[in-house]
Amino acid sequence: MSLILELDATGPRIAGEQAERPAPTPAKPANAGHGDVRKKIVPVVKPPAGPSATAWEGGVYLSMQQWRDGAEQGGAILLQPADDVRALADRLDSAALIAVDFHRIGDGRGYSHAFMLRERLNYRGRLRALGAVTADQLFALARVGFDSFALRADQSAETALAALNTFSVPYQGAPVAGANAAREEANFNARIRLLERALTAIAADATRPALASSLSAEDMVITDAIARLKLPIDVFTLDTGRLHAETLALIPEIKSRYGLDIDVHRPDENAVSAYISAHGADGFYEGLAQRKLCCTIRKVAPLNRALEGRSAWITGQRRDQAATRGALEEAERDEVRGMGKFNPLAAWSWGDVLAYAARFDVPMNALYARGYVSIGCEPCTKAVRPGEDPRNGRWWWENKDSKECGLHTNATVTR
Amino acid sequence: MYRYDAVDRLIVEERVAQFRDQTERYLAGLIDEDAFKPLRLQNGLYIQRYAPMLRVAIPYGVLSSTQLRALAEIARRYDRGYGHFTTRQNIQFNWVKVEEVPDILADLAKVSMHAIQTSGSCVRNVTTDVFAGVASDEIVDPRPYCEIMRQWSTLHPEFAHLPRKFKVAFNGAREDRAATAVHDLAFDLYKDEAGEVRLIVKVGGGQGRTPRLASIIKRDLHWSELLTYSEAVLRAYNRLGRRDNIFKARIKIQVEALGAEAFGALVDEEWAQLRGGPNTLTQEALDRVRVHFIDPPLEAWAEPATRTLPLDANFRAWKSRNVTAHQNADYAAITISLKREGIAPGDATAEEMDFIADLADRYSFGEARVSYHQNLVLPYVARADLPALYAELDARNLARANIKLASDIICCPGGDFCSLANAKSIPLSAAIADKLAPIEQDLGAIAINVSGCINACAHHHVGHIGVLGVEKAGEDWYQILLGGRPDAGGRLGVLLGKSVRQEDVPGLIDRLARHYLAVRQEGESFIAAVERTGVDPFRAALEAQEVAA
Repeated sequence: MSLILELDATGPRIAGEQAERPAPTPAKPANAGHGDVRKKIVPVVKPPAGPSATAWEGGVYLSMQQWRDGAEQGGAILLQPADDVRALADRLDSAALIAVDFHRIGDGRGYSHAFMLRERLNYRGRLRALGAVTADQLFALARVGFDSFALRADQSAETALAALNTFSVPYQGAPVAGANAAREEANFNARIRLLERALTAIAADATRPALASSLSAEDMVITDAIARLKLPIDVFTLDTGRLHAETLALIPEIKSRYGLDIDVHRPDENAVSAYISAHGADGFYEGLAQRKLCCTIRKVAPLNRALEGRSAWITGQRRDQAATRGALEEAERDEVRGMGKFNPLAAWSWGDVLAYAARFDVPMNALYARGYVSIGCEPCTKAVRPGEDPRNGRWWWENKDSKECGLHTNATVTR
Repeated sequence: MYRYDAVDRLIVEERVAQFRDQTERYLAGLIDEDAFKPLRLQNGLYIQRYAPMLRVAIPYGVLSSTQLRALAEIARRYDRGYGHFTTRQNIQFNWVKVEEVPDILADLAKVSMHAIQTSGSCVRNVTTDVFAGVASDEIVDPRPYCEIMRQWSTLHPEFAHLPRKFKVAFNGAREDRAATAVHDLAFDLYKDEAGEVRLIVKVGGGQGRTPRLASIIKRDLHWSELLTYSEAVLRAYNRLGRRDNIFKARIKIQVEALGAEAFGALVDEEWAQLRGGPNTLTQEALDRVRVHFIDPPLEAWAEPATRTLPLDANFRAWKSRNVTAHQNADYAAITISLKREGIAPGDATAEEMDFIADLADRYSFGEARVSYHQNLVLPYVARADLPALYAELDARNLARANIKLASDIICCPGGDFCSLANAKSIPLSAAIADKLAPIEQDLGAIAINVSGCINACAHHHVGHIGVLGVEKAGEDWYQILLGGRPDAGGRLGVLLGKSVRQEDVPGLIDRLARHYLAVRQEGESFIAAVERTGVDPFRAALEAQEVAA
């Protein structure tokens, strides 16, 4: 017992000393099998020779019987696996510490001890696991109520601290048995963790990954997650030359809020001039071909330049944004550009986006407050009524099936 | 079928990440063999006789075609191109590499699958009736309760280090097809006079070296108390079950030592503290899961008149053996036999799994099931499609018409794979099926179970005829049991005599079968005849044989 971790309101901390640990010998994976093991099975489990520890920081541990015979103010009890902890009811007020002895990893009685102490006896003081306590048990131990861990001598503090964060949401209790609101809250927390996990994996696996941000609420959510996790993922936006002032105002706001410099890509000036001479500045109202050409010059071509040299790009697309996005996958292959394409918010609802923005105080385009839902270039975007299809606010003079600018081609396949 | 939400997805993803890290630390020498063992076991990874084996959970036996294809791909990419379906509705891959298991688990997670708690001293994969939701004799669809139990028992922090393994089963039909009598904790679902779902709770069933049938400890548990009551049972077992001897550590020993009534009282005392607490199921929780199990859009498609069907005798045999009545009269559940000549019982190749996934898509709304009898089931087949489906199955050696017949043998991997086995089971099963082939149709329904050792993975204690591998001086010998059954409250088979050599087993079983044919009454099945006459006349028939020889 050389390293003690404790959980406090501020989080876990190392409360004891680190011992020298023996250098590890790499294991030989037993891919050859164990052969015939029948004769090696010893059914009888040897009882422990005695308690795994005798003293704590403040003195000597008392057994449950000793404690019952005469509790000292500020003393500590060491419970053994076979003890019936209910015998301590109403006798715990003066305890400074209760420790539970784990003689073997596989002896799970101590977990029930902790449950009984916390739930039945309402013990609120320090509860320590000691003995055969390894990093890999820590998460479950903490969940049943332990807040102090005397690690086995060969355990590393780093691994143990990391193990405390193994799982983000529990199955038991309200998320399984309770009302839909409890499950939905757990689901919202899970969606945030899934987003963080997806971004972390992209940052680790891809070459120069980038978020293609339209400065929409969805893209601001992803930008916030990238900034919070300090991930090496670039964020760029396409200034088409026709964006709302409210949209462009987010660029300096992201800089001041997150310290992130967004790369701004602009359309080729010659192509824009040629378009204006041929079709007029607002020629996109005249037909689908003219509109798509404008999108190509002002958005698609700059996007293609922005994606050069990258092996993955990230978007804020969601399935319920548009009829064209119903089958959207979280991980796709962009065959046209020959790279990975990730839509980590695919399963999110608009409500999830707003809830995330509220929880993390994410800067939002001021147009949302004025009834805009899906925001693109100024001439091609308008507000929609509450409950109206959000996509009605984009290219409203066109057929529903054509309402994509061309950034998100159908030529993507599910991985 | 149940579809994962973000909570399910995240838990499984984080579990994969956890085991990847643990495996890396193990390979680097930072986790010793003893500490790694419970970690790998609770992720389904055993070390068998010749290689590691991965057992993947198929919760209550339900699979989507996408999941079945993913299993096929795993068999191809990480194993030797096949998998083995088990009595507990799981699948095992016999030749995986330890260092590749995290990748396999990551592939499984992509199709909402995992190997969590498929072994080790914890609550195992929940099992139920293979015909759940479609059986014509069903009273309550058990699947929503199974799924709720799966979620609650998955990574339960308090119950991951029980004295021994803990198996849970649900049955909601008149005929018990889930072998509930031999489970540590089992529930029979029924409706009370007010139409409310209630549960009969049974504990302490199990096989192995001390076979016991489960005892009823509660007859009228309201469905909303499923988890609080289960928690009380598990806490009583975790705190007070024996841990001094692994052969005496199952809950059945605790229940027997205390008596079922006293054990029930112990549970009730704990339950009194939990009733109405945070694990009490709300109607919303039940409904939230139940919506996943509504029927696919079945159309009213009557079967063509019999005279328009092909008059193929094989088709008719298959239809009478492998087709099960459905709640919807225009539909049927069909069983694909994985008991083929020359193939280990319960085995399917990757190509066969892909093929069956394809059939599931075309004939069964993309769903397949795994049965207690180690076969696969397509649960939603329009009767009009039966001839076409039969023809496709027949072309791939998957239309053997032997469900519940003598060659539909439940068999464990045995000495060919398992490091605990005393004797081989696969070749013996083949020899028994061969020997009985001439009288198989006449024999009718008979359950033969062949286990390679006392651990009873093939449930030999509850086979109508059970065969148990023992070892004598390095040779494979076997004991024969008679009269067991897993249904109707369960019955344990009776040992017929001393152990015999492998080559004698098929002949002796043939003798038992022929004795039945000689004494049966009109319409009487094998097990009914054994129950009417008792075991002794059958034993006498074997002894007469020995004298004659």
